[in-house]
Amino acid sequence: MNRATLATALCTALATALGAQDKPSMEIFFGQRPKEFKVAKWGPEKLPSPCYAFTASKLLTGAGAPIDDAVIVTRDSKIVAIGPRRDVTIPDGCQVFDMGDCWIAPGFVDLHCHMMGRNRRDYNDMVNPTNPELRTLDMVSMDHPQVKSALAGGVTTVLFIPGSGTNMGGFGTLTKTAGKFEEALLRFPGSLKIAQAGNPERRSGDLGADKMGMNEGLRRTLDDGYRYYRAWEEFDAGNGPKPKNRPDLEYLRGLFRHEYPVTVHTQIYQVVLETLRELRIEFNLWTVIDHGTFDAYRLCGEAQKVGVPVCNGPRQYHFDRNESRFIGLAHAWYAGGTHGWREPVPGVGRDGIAVNTDSPVIAQEQLTLQCAMACRLGLPYDVAIRAITINPARFVGADHRVGSLEVGKDADLAVWTGDPLDPRHHVKITVVNGRIAYRRDEERPRF
Amino acid sequence: MSPNAICRTGTALAVAAALASLTCDLAAQRRGRFRRGGPPTTAGAPPEPAAPVVKKEIKNYLAIRGGTVYVGTGQVLRGATVLIGDDKILAVGPGIEIPEKAKVIDATGKCVSPGFVAVKARGMGAGSTEDDPKDSVNPFDPQIKMGLAVGITSFLSVSGFGGSMPSGSSAVFKLAYGDLDGMVLKHGHVFRMSVPLAVSQMKTFKDTVAKAKDYLEKKDAAEKAAADKPEEPKPTERPGARRPTGRRGGSQAKGPPKDLATLLDIMSGKAKLWVSCRRGYDVTNLRQALEVATLLGTGVVLEDPTVAWAIPDEVAATGSMVVLSPRDHDEPDPAQPATTGSNIAMSRILSDVGVPVAVHPPAGMFGGGGLGTGGILGQDLNTPHVDAAYAVRGGLDQHKALRTLTLDAAKIVGADSRIGSLEPGKDADILILDGDPLHYRTFVETALVNGKVVYEKSKEPFYNHIHR
Repeated sequence: MNRATLATALCTALATALGAQDKPSMEIFFGQRPKEFKVAKWGPEKLPSPCYAFTASKLLTGAGAPIDDAVIVTRDSKIVAIGPRRDVTIPDGCQVFDMGDCWIAPGFVDLHCHMMGRNRRDYNDMVNPTNPELRTLDMVSMDHPQVKSALAGGVTTVLFIPGSGTNMGGFGTLTKTAGKFEEALLRFPGSLKIAQAGNPERRSGDLGADKMGMNEGLRRTLDDGYRYYRAWEEFDAGNGPKPKNRPDLEYLRGLFRHEYPVTVHTQIYQVVLETLRELRIEFNLWTVIDHGTFDAYRLCGEAQKVGVPVCNGPRQYHFDRNESRFIGLAHAWYAGGTHGWREPVPGVGRDGIAVNTDSPVIAQEQLTLQCAMACRLGLPYDVAIRAITINPARFVGADHRVGSLEVGKDADLAVWTGDPLDPRHHVKITVVNGRIAYRRDEERPRF
Repeated sequence: MSPNAICRTGTALAVAAALASLTCDLAAQRRGRFRRGGPPTTAGAPPEPAAPVVKKEIKNYLAIRGGTVYVGTGQVLRGATVLIGDDKILAVGPGIEIPEKAKVIDATGKCVSPGFVAVKARGMGAGSTEDDPKDSVNPFDPQIKMGLAVGITSFLSVSGFGGSMPSGSSAVFKLAYGDLDGMVLKHGHVFRMSVPLAVSQMKTFKDTVAKAKDYLEKKDAAEKAAADKPEEPKPTERPGARRPTGRRGGSQAKGPPKDLATLLDIMSGKAKLWVSCRRGYDVTNLRQALEVATLLGTGVVLEDPTVAWAIPDEVAATGSMVVLSPRDHDEPDPAQPATTGSNIAMSRILSDVGVPVAVHPPAGMFGGGGLGTGGILGQDLNTPHVDAAYAVRGGLDQHKALRTLTLDAAKIVGADSRIGSLEPGKDADILILDGDPLHYRTFVETALVNGKVVYEKSKEPFYNHIHR
């Protein structure tokens, strides 16, 4: 084989490989995402920040293959250049941080946290059995210790959601973890928090005490929201009168407009089955499974089919008492399988899995440990990195801003002393919106 | 009465008879060996527990060859052999001659480490520590295999949460699956108390210590006087008879008062005192724990001393040791940040001044001392190596960090003469690992306790479907 043929063959092979990579392993159902956001508010697209260049021995992009001996240049809260050091020209006047053997990783994204709660507690305001009128937006505080811990753990974007004390906890906020509140905001609402079962059973309301009753309660509220949404759609199309303003249903309107997803506290086979049926199919919502623990992974085929991705955690394994096996949950969702008596089913693949902390259940700074544990139990390393970067960003429709290190995206990154998943390594510097938000105090490190 | 007989019947009553229990306790350490058929080396005075030479005929040799051996002391030997004779380690190093009849396990490309010592645990076949734990251990508890699967080969179980005086009961259990006699390493040697103490509690404590010192002085004087007199014959006892309780017993008259027995055991170094500092967020409370150590004249084990990083020299000066979870995080009090709150560098800071440190799982919402099946991996006892890894994150040297699970942990549970390192004469509690002991993906491939293979990843269901 001459050199030219070899080169062609290599190129073909590479193209095939890349092609396989480019084809998503799972089509996530985003509904008909509108171009115009009528309910949701996005934070500022661009902010002033100095020009920084960080060099590192390895750069995990979160999107494609890692780059060795890399440099990344940031300015005005955006990434302006990235690549191998020999290919990137650092602009004049740019402050250079030579980070030697360090690694650079995207700022990590945690889709399930209650981090700004008071006294390290969940935010469970149990006003009604379902609370579409509540929101975490007013609770956001960048002075909270857990926010500092997030930065120390390399976490720069969080979906701060209400707890699971009621079936519908309220609306979560998608925010960065540094800067002034208005600047940090990525999007509000970030999502609607629904807790389908496995905590909201308070036996307090008039809606029954268990799954049937809770499903019915959710259905009633969502149905109200759907009617409200339809009335506005009719009005906007010029087909109906102007609806009476209903602040308690306003955010549900945005939910049905598919401006943001519903993130569902759902776990155990039967409950997740109901999530897929009721929320995704019956109400046609853009749906993300949160938790997805216990034996729910047996529904990976169904979830994949209807485009519902999984943000798994804080539990990382299911102990199968029949077989005495520690089943890695993230891996089980990812890979699919036979799951006992069934025909083999596909998993949600590398694009359908994320990992969360549910902080303060697991301390916010330990998001990478959650991923390391998923990895320990079988999740491939590259998928594990995606599970706290591009995948969660995509699940909530924020992947045009965060989740990977690419030119044009937000300059959110962390400099690590090595593999971010290895608890022995730590963050030296965290950058959010192009500004240095955290530097490790080596005398008294936070984490 | 043989020391063995004293032991079987007397251990539960040892608190009431400190002098008798001195003999008893040393014998207790060797009891496992008696039961497995090896005769005591000497009948009367027991030898030092860490006798490096085992004077009995070795029936089975086992060699673990070719691995990277983490000795547990901080030393690493590449391509070394660990030679085991029955239940003890005979030799460790490169170029060791392997006896012809030895069974050989090839560990080439693998890491060999001492079994991990969990300093605070429960379950895993443990018996009740209130009485002789041997009466209630379950050597076939499935949790034993789960513990071995994550590298634990022995653990301390302590009951009682500690009050203002040392109390509670304890035992060090070994995960000798299927071997009833091999399961209890030590018993009744750890007591617990907690700080802060109220002024009145501190006074009571000081008074009791003074009484104990006074008792010791009088006893020493009496012994000196007795040494001049001829020895009296010992009263004979029906074999198997229950020893009389302290209050009624004739021998009790010579023993210490009941309320002093525990303190005397601690002061003589026969027992260890754990002082829980979890409620003490500032140095004032920690200094109270150190004052307790000073009063007793012996180092204590400080349990979760959040701010020990701020006064490491004071901790070191008392000869105390520390049990902690490196990643447990407490916010400092903004009014006095230099002396409150946690510091992930604490293991390194203490290690630098020579304070032994052992690690345990974090205290978080779902953390805790038990092996879990609840799914919270990384927070429970299913990943002891991750807790040590966090000590490295705080700056502790890699090899020293392994000691937080091995030799230093063994010291802290009071069993380093038997376990915690791969040194000749010690129990053959050994792990063969598929990688660096502190890497998050590393699994135990084979675990040995008392020289027997008690766990193989490929043969047990827990993790054999996971391939690195």
